[in-house]
Amino acid sequence: MKNLLRHLFVALLVLAVALPFLWMAYAAFLPPELVNSGDITRFGFSLQNFSALAPEGFWWRLAYSLGVSSLATLLALLTGFPAAYALREGAPLLGLYLFLLAVPAEMMLVPLYGVLAGTHLLGSPWALIWPFAASPFVVFLLYQGLRAVPWQIVEAARIDGAGEGTILRRVLLPIMFPHLVTAGVLSFAAHWNLVLYPRVMTGEKWWTLQVWMADLVRKHPSDWGLLSAAALLGTLPLALVYLLFERKIVETFEGSLKG
Amino acid sequence: MGLAPSLLVLAVFGLYPFLEVVRFSTWDWSGLSRPHPVGLANYRELLTDPAFWHSLWVTLELALITLPSFLALSLLVALALEGQRYERWVKGLLFLPGLVTLSAAAVSWYTLLSPEYGALQTLLYTLIPESSPLARWLVVPAWDREPFWALLLVVAFTLWRYLGYGVLVVSASLKSIPRSLLEAAWVDGATPRQALRYVTLPLLRPAVTFLLVVGTILALQSYVAVFLLTRGGPFGGTRVLGYFIYQVGFEQYRLGYAAAATIVLLLLTLLLAYAQARFMEEH
Repeated sequence: MKNLLRHLFVALLVLAVALPFLWMAYAAFLPPELVNSGDITRFGFSLQNFSALAPEGFWWRLAYSLGVSSLATLLALLTGFPAAYALREGAPLLGLYLFLLAVPAEMMLVPLYGVLAGTHLLGSPWALIWPFAASPFVVFLLYQGLRAVPWQIVEAARIDGAGEGTILRRVLLPIMFPHLVTAGVLSFAAHWNLVLYPRVMTGEKWWTLQVWMADLVRKHPSDWGLLSAAALLGTLPLALVYLLFERKIVETFEGSLKG
Repeated sequence: MGLAPSLLVLAVFGLYPFLEVVRFSTWDWSGLSRPHPVGLANYRELLTDPAFWHSLWVTLELALITLPSFLALSLLVALALEGQRYERWVKGLLFLPGLVTLSAAAVSWYTLLSPEYGALQTLLYTLIPESSPLARWLVVPAWDREPFWALLLVVAFTLWRYLGYGVLVVSASLKSIPRSLLEAAWVDGATPRQALRYVTLPLLRPAVTFLLVVGTILALQSYVAVFLLTRGGPFGGTRVLGYFIYQVGFEQYRLGYAAAATIVLLLLTLLLAYAQARFMEEH
């Protein structure tokens, strides 16, 4: 009886969490005339919504957003890995990173805008990249991963005459691969999901997919098919990457929380 | 040496802006216009601005609903999942909403949960005819007109996105409890309920502390959900402090005023973090 209740609770939870995804996938294929007449429970299948996306400029936004977020993530990993290594080696700056980790992003909106307003970065795609080229979150996650590495390996490599660069690339990179993937996916998702920041910092021409989609809802609030098709296709890249690495991400993340 | 690039970026884009924002907050400035120093006028205006006080109140309300439900659900779900065959699978699913495209998720919620004409309401009326007495209880609340329901919608969206994270935190802590401790409790004749109450829950305290901090940050960050779902409405009922800052700064182009509000928010966050740390130390 008690176990039944437990399973029921989990089942309800799974349903509630999955419902928006299921609806998104269903509505994306609804023929527009069924949506217009409010007949959404009648089954219909159409690809019309997807072909209507191209004139709205969907594909370019998708490619552009993928590019910007990938570049920012790559830079965050490139700066974060050596930084985490230096912290693990005993650099006394962990507190600073933890503090920056706790600063909510919205507080950065006004300060960063004010600072960028004086430079040519404001309004260009670089405003979406340089401020994210270092991430306290990535550093913290990688640092947690490095703490689990037996440090004799590094010391042995050092005795064998390996330089710091070699140690990072040849010794630690292979061991830390799961952590790098996890940090990469999570920080990609965080960057990908910025909405107000790109809206404010760049002009309409350089808006990311997120901002564009929020705008699409304002323009076509009742065209559910079109909106859902955009939502589905905009969700797929990240969802696929996540599914690919899901086991690693969940396990690594959980592991880094234990320490 | 390895720290240099990372620190450089963080100093330029993370720390330096915080010093600058103090300066901005004493300006009458649209962001593009020539700044005009006004001393503490922005702060004085803030203290008498009803919209600011209201948004402060809304933020508090939101945090007071979000935090306990986030903690309770994280604990409940992690305990329910512990040791089940589907544990890993469900955890993977729960984590997904936090990663997928935010505005796409908002689109889905918006079309699904719109009052009267939304997909969920249509589905409910198809399953249960509108005329039946049961249908009266199956109405999607009018969150486009009632501030309270709009606030709950934002809370639900926030929970939906971050529950997986909370569950992972509790779960990681659950798994680090030595099995021998629980076995010792059972040998001493503790019922499963007692073991939970006197062994498991006290050992979860660090995880709960951590979640409290994270939950506060999440509650403060819900302004993006507000932007996507309700735009602060109806009647300012969901205009949290973060959204107030956005509106003042980038819709009314009063960046100096927004900077002053940012500083107040920063002080509040620090105060809250301090209070939480103290509270947790005492209990």
